[in-house]
Amino acid sequence: MVRRRPPFEARRSGYAINLDEEERYFVRRLVGEVRELLTSLPANDPKLERLFPPAYTNADGEDVDAEAEYQRLMRDELVASRLDAIGRIDELLADATMITLTTDQLNAFVISLNSVRLILGTILGITDEDDDGDPNSPLANETAMYNYLSWLLDSAVTALMQV
Amino acid sequence: MQGDGVTLVAAAPSTVVRPEVDESTALDKPWIVLVWNDPINLMSYVTFVFQKLFGYSLEKATELMLDVHEKGKAVVSSGNREKAEMDVYRLHEHGLWATMQKDGDD
Repeated sequence: MVRRRPPFEARRSGYAINLDEEERYFVRRLVGEVRELLTSLPANDPKLERLFPPAYTNADGEDVDAEAEYQRLMRDELVASRLDAIGRIDELLADATMITLTTDQLNAFVISLNSVRLILGTILGITDEDDDGDPNSPLANETAMYNYLSWLLDSAVTALMQV
Repeated sequence: MQGDGVTLVAAAPSTVVRPEVDESTALDKPWIVLVWNDPINLMSYVTFVFQKLFGYSLEKATELMLDVHEKGKAVVSSGNREKAEMDVYRLHEHGLWATMQKDGDD
């Protein structure tokens, strides 16, 4: 296998993004699916549960009212913040001349890539950190996507932490 | 104006008045924010989020991440209810599994 450059690299000013046309298209398609799920699924859909965890440890006990209040006030904010990040990276990836990112832009990537991973990981039923998925399962494609996104995210985080 | 030394000096009280200890404040336990272990979030990502949101050093952020990973959870911040709720929100925004509770609850 040919060694390739990391997908994201810290530069003196900003971050290089080394994704080819196919990869850009693929990431746009995936975040587009997240946007679709965020805007169409009911709030309690299990696919989204990792994106909207309870805020109170005792959400079913003494803090049941506070939890309801948090969900009422903050859930829409959480949706809006993720849609904003997705909108920004979708726009960036659509522009093939865009090869350097600011910290803010790379942060939007990080949040969006992780949103996709949380949904895919939930669908795949990932229960163990070392679970790379079964390549023979009917969800082998999703598993491959999940691992690819993990690699992208790790690269973005590594780049951000170098500065 | 912030950063204007003259204004800051002028605004400083000439004598330090110690507030009396308010018993109800002492009893009003502060809230703690916990992050729970989960199999999806990457270790590098969790460390990154702790640094980004709380300004922790790499050492401190790594230590907290390892606590989450090995012990199942870690206290990442604390404060009054509003601060704890904002910290939980920011952690949720980043996809971490965070909850808040009164300190001492279990």
